[in-house]
Amino acid sequence: MGKSLMIVDDSATMRKIIMRTVRMSGLEFDRTEEAGSGVEALEKLKIGPIDVILCDINMPEMNGTEMVKQARQLPTCAGTKIVMVSTESAQDLINQVLTDGANGYITKPFTPEQFREKLTPLLN
Amino acid sequence: MMTTACLKDVLLDSAREVFETMVFMALAESGENSPAMGETALLGSITFKGNLKGCLAICCDVACARTIAANMLGMDASAELGEADICDAIGELANMVMGTVKSRIQNELGPIEVSIPSVVRGRELKNSMGEGASMVTVMADIEGQYTAEFSLLYRSGPSERHG
Repeated sequence: MGKSLMIVDDSATMRKIIMRTVRMSGLEFDRTEEAGSGVEALEKLKIGPIDVILCDINMPEMNGTEMVKQARQLPTCAGTKIVMVSTESAQDLINQVLTDGANGYITKPFTPEQFREKLTPLLN
Repeated sequence: MMTTACLKDVLLDSAREVFETMVFMALAESGENSPAMGETALLGSITFKGNLKGCLAICCDVACARTIAANMLGMDASAELGEADICDAIGELANMVMGTVKSRIQNELGPIEVSIPSVVRGRELKNSMGEGASMVTVMADIEGQYTAEFSLLYRSGPSERHG
């Protein structure tokens, strides 16, 4: 069965860049979705499960760390792999968001190789 | 305490890294004193606070911003890009350069909080923090085609000032 991907970032440009980088990494998803905020992402997650979420941290309305906490309360999100994609690089913050339920972390700026390295183990 | 020269190196190296990785354009320090702007320019800014507080900004003319946005999105330079797309790209660029600067200085300066980026369009755009603020400026040549100005306007926060 094909995999699904959701990109959560308040910047439409960054969502497109992430989508392009995923394609360049060679990873394939049968279904891709976008959300411009944590709130929008949670609404979509309530409808049905997503295999992988790539989520920004610094977003207005609801930041990525709060989105991860709330997503982990949803039955549809039990098996979802969540990878944060952010300019934030403080180790304390990375540790905290991993504790809160994220499965990985990629810092901006990023390369297709980093996406492949972080996402491949989560897809298998 | 970080010196102005050190911050300038950090700013230039950070801008260069982001351009190489995400914009796919070569960036080098330019000998020019001010960017050769067209009639209007875009100023992408992002503020930060902590033991150093201030604002990082990128200023370039619209043609340069359009090319940067097209490259970031993997589109042809002649592709039709709306104003919103171009501003969004410049805001993200400011965000990523700030994130890279932050990762290089926070070991010495401690945690730094960063805002959401903002972009304005106009003439003779400049950020200001009033008297007592310091500013580091890097004039950058982009692929020999464009000039952009990267600046870091800042003042020391409480623990640097008193500690």
